[in-house]
Amino acid sequence: MIEETIIRALCAAFAALGFGAVSNPSRRSLPFIMVLAAVGYALRYQLMQTLGFDIATATLAASLLMGFGSLWLGGRIRCPMTTLYIPALLPFVPGMYAYKAVFSIILFMQNINAPAEAFLHLNDFFLNIIVTVTVILCMTVGASLPMFIFSRRAKSLTRRTANKKTIFRG
Amino acid sequence: MYQSAKLKETTGFIADYAAVLLGAGVHCTRVLRNSRRICEAYGLELTMTIFASNIILTLSDPEQDEICTEVVHIRQIPVSFELNAELSALSWKVFDNKLNIAQVKEEYSQIMQKPRMNNWLVTLLVSVANACFCRLFGGDLGSMGLVFVSTFAGYLLLRFIKKLGIDHSLAVILVSFFSSFTCLGLASLPVLAGQVNVTVAVATSVLFMVPGVPLITGVIDMFENHVLIGFARLMRAILIVLCLAVGLSISMVIFRGSLLL
Repeated sequence: MIEETIIRALCAAFAALGFGAVSNPSRRSLPFIMVLAAVGYALRYQLMQTLGFDIATATLAASLLMGFGSLWLGGRIRCPMTTLYIPALLPFVPGMYAYKAVFSIILFMQNINAPAEAFLHLNDFFLNIIVTVTVILCMTVGASLPMFIFSRRAKSLTRRTANKKTIFRG
Repeated sequence: MYQSAKLKETTGFIADYAAVLLGAGVHCTRVLRNSRRICEAYGLELTMTIFASNIILTLSDPEQDEICTEVVHIRQIPVSFELNAELSALSWKVFDNKLNIAQVKEEYSQIMQKPRMNNWLVTLLVSVANACFCRLFGGDLGSMGLVFVSTFAGYLLLRFIKKLGIDHSLAVILVSFFSSFTCLGLASLPVLAGQVNVTVAVATSVLFMVPGVPLITGVIDMFENHVLIGFARLMRAILIVLCLAVGLSISMVIFRGSLLL
């Protein structure tokens, strides 16, 4: 179990690095993106496998941890939280469920004259689309929550001067 | 303090700055906050309306009782987290050090000229990432290898298609078809037949094009009350997922005569 968790955490780290690379991240943020993805994915996997959490709740907990992590790390390397947690969250995007939902629609349309078969595909569609939407909502809410709780700190992560006491009203 | 020409110049800069940030995939609240911060440094007030492809902004100078309005297209540029970080830092620099508009423009153009990550390195990293993604979905080493090769080939094609300036949705259909076709083709070679988990490999071979960034920023925008642009971003992402499925369906029908994996 531990070995599998470590392998999956490493895979998530490299997946975040690669998918993040498409979006041109800062060089200094790359190691932190990998760490956030690895820790988040390991937590999600452990919660699902050990404690029996469902995918949405486990994603919420993992992304919350990643949100706090990006708030802490963002201050150290002067990067906005979103530039750290968005690429780190990319391995969590339920792409497989999303396009299984699309396939279910196509298969439903192909079997529209066979109600029993069509009903199965309709069932698949709802299952996949509900998982997709719920997971995307949970990961976004979880990672963004620290931004709302510590909004003043989150707004000034890229500030380079020591004059952080000046409050910006925006 | 401000002559009309100066106010116009500042408005033009803020319009360009906001258009670049939005094009680079930054969520609306940050764009508004950064732009307002720069305006505040010059004693100006900013009002901005953001649509899916345009921005309307008005800068007003309360001291001189002058206003200037500009409508600008959101730039169609690739998502860039580096621009997000550097342009946010620039807004703080203007606010803290009171840089004049000429200095700001110079720093801005330096940031804009920074080169993106090397294309070959990105292609390699994306291929490794998708192979790792395959492992997360339960793929074995053989299927990871298949996904690596098909992603590499698909991403090369995507780069080529983008150079030709073909519409992005059409590009996604073509690349999705090509990647999954390559994966299915390799899996049917006698050497690999029955040795790899083809189902997971084929399903994962197109996932590198799932638009994760607009999906996440779209939801953030919705939560932060920018429903219009949030919805537009989500719809664009859903359209890309549909295109992915279409491309994959074509290769599935050619190879297996059915859509079932």
